[in-house]
Amino acid sequence: MRSASKPLPEMPSDLAIRIEDLSLRYRVSVESKVTLKNAIMRAGRREKRRVRVIEAIKNLTIDIPHGSVVGVVGANGAGKSTLMRSIAGILPPTEGRIIVNGKVSTLLALGVGFNGTLSGRDNVILGGLAAGLDREILESRFEAIAAFADLPDGFIDMPMRTYSAGMYGRLAFSVAVNMTPDILLIDEALATGDAAFKEKSFDKMRQLCQDARTIVIVSHALGILNELCTSAMWLNKGEMLAYGEAQKVTDQYLDFLNVGKVPSALEDF
Amino acid sequence: MTSEPTALVQKIQVFEPHKAALPPLRPYFRELWRRRRFALELSRFTDKAEYLDSPLGSVWLVLNPLMLSLVYFLLVSILSGSRASKGSASGFDTLAHILIGLFTWYFAQNCMTMGGASVTGGGKLILNQAFPRALLPLSSVVSAFRQFIPTLPIYVIIYLIGSTLDSKSTLTGMSWHTLWVPVIILFVAVSGFGLALLFATLNVYFRDTSKILTYGGRIWLYLSPVLWLPERLHGWHRILLWANPLGPVLAMTTTVWIEGRPPSTAQVLAALAWALGLLLIGGYFFMSRERDFAVRI
Repeated sequence: MRSASKPLPEMPSDLAIRIEDLSLRYRVSVESKVTLKNAIMRAGRREKRRVRVIEAIKNLTIDIPHGSVVGVVGANGAGKSTLMRSIAGILPPTEGRIIVNGKVSTLLALGVGFNGTLSGRDNVILGGLAAGLDREILESRFEAIAAFADLPDGFIDMPMRTYSAGMYGRLAFSVAVNMTPDILLIDEALATGDAAFKEKSFDKMRQLCQDARTIVIVSHALGILNELCTSAMWLNKGEMLAYGEAQKVTDQYLDFLNVGKVPSALEDF
Repeated sequence: MTSEPTALVQKIQVFEPHKAALPPLRPYFRELWRRRRFALELSRFTDKAEYLDSPLGSVWLVLNPLMLSLVYFLLVSILSGSRASKGSASGFDTLAHILIGLFTWYFAQNCMTMGGASVTGGGKLILNQAFPRALLPLSSVVSAFRQFIPTLPIYVIIYLIGSTLDSKSTLTGMSWHTLWVPVIILFVAVSGFGLALLFATLNVYFRDTSKILTYGGRIWLYLSPVLWLPERLHGWHRILLWANPLGPVLAMTTTVWIEGRPPSTAQVLAALAWALGLLLIGGYFFMSRERDFAVRI
């Protein structure tokens, strides 16, 4: 969050996202449950709170130009989701700086549907309002969102806890792409739809790319990344090991997965 | 897609480590105000999902505090040993006092319990979207307010019937002083928002806060001038009225509704001070920690 007095930093106009020496650490409690009861019991035994510091991202610097489609690959726990959340402004950096130029729409781990008791329609409206959209605009977009998601009969007005994972994903994706974002962040959402919906979402993403929107995709489906992305980044334990042409990076990542160790040629990164 | 939506966020954004305890206040409140509809709609949709917006829903909402009032009235009547429950002395006055006191108390308590659970219940939204988190407890206050409003006409009806039937009732009826009621409601709402912010934050760090609130809330109720009249306290005991964050505003409730007098200056000032104090303390506690919520949910 920018303090009001500071001038805006220099940002070349062709850049959508600039990440400067970003590090992100946070502490998680290792307790089974964080309760006052446990805290008191622990104090009674003169034990310290067991916490673990997670270094989710270490010294990451990258420039992402407008109109590029960047794939992010990496093993589980590599910091991919954390990176997405920090670009969206949800997690503040511990060190470094992120400059974002444009409206960000997030599709992070199926963000729509935070309240399972509410209908899909209500969740879409609430998510949009939380993102700062006008109610009227949301209402006018709603038909397009529902049409694109193409849920089975009547599901849009049913509580979201009745949705299958695929329906969840379809609705979430539909919301994210229909908000005409400048920057679209997609986290693992492509795996949920069926073949027909996948094809539809690729078309939509290609169209967004043509409109010079910027897309950052986290996915384990390397084939999809190769097809869609102009470039890719490989994160491993919070560090960026490679950034470049999508096919090349995913090949390196595949080698790593198969061999199980960092290729020596990449250790300099 | 031809019409551009209003910017989701401002055009260039910079995210940096925060050294200051609080986020920059002006942008924070600007964003909060811009998304006020979210707080309203979240409350409305939640009520709708629980059918509380239907006519029977309002009955349900009123029934709970109403039944509790009757239970407490019986309890107080038995404990005090008087024959109040049989309609002699000022039996109806006692009931009226408990009714309006409990209705007002429940407004504040609902702010606390619903607000306390609002952030931990906001899971995915907190994880996946950047917005001023204070909107969540604010929405709880809106819900608590919407549940409180239908209890007021119920009170007035019971009050009108009771004071005509019970000839011994000393209730003075409604007067110009009833105009103080909106002020009381405002004080309770602001205090409730402060408490909601406070307990919402606590609940992120200690997930059993809401459980403790159930017991704590009940003790707090017994220490508040709801089941007993403020003038029952004498000497240094009266500190219970002023040291209780909801004491002054509940005493105001009694003065205005039951005694039909305007509240004393001391009552108004103390209630105002507590309301603002709770809002500032709760607000500071919440806002200085809300950027951590996403990693702790």
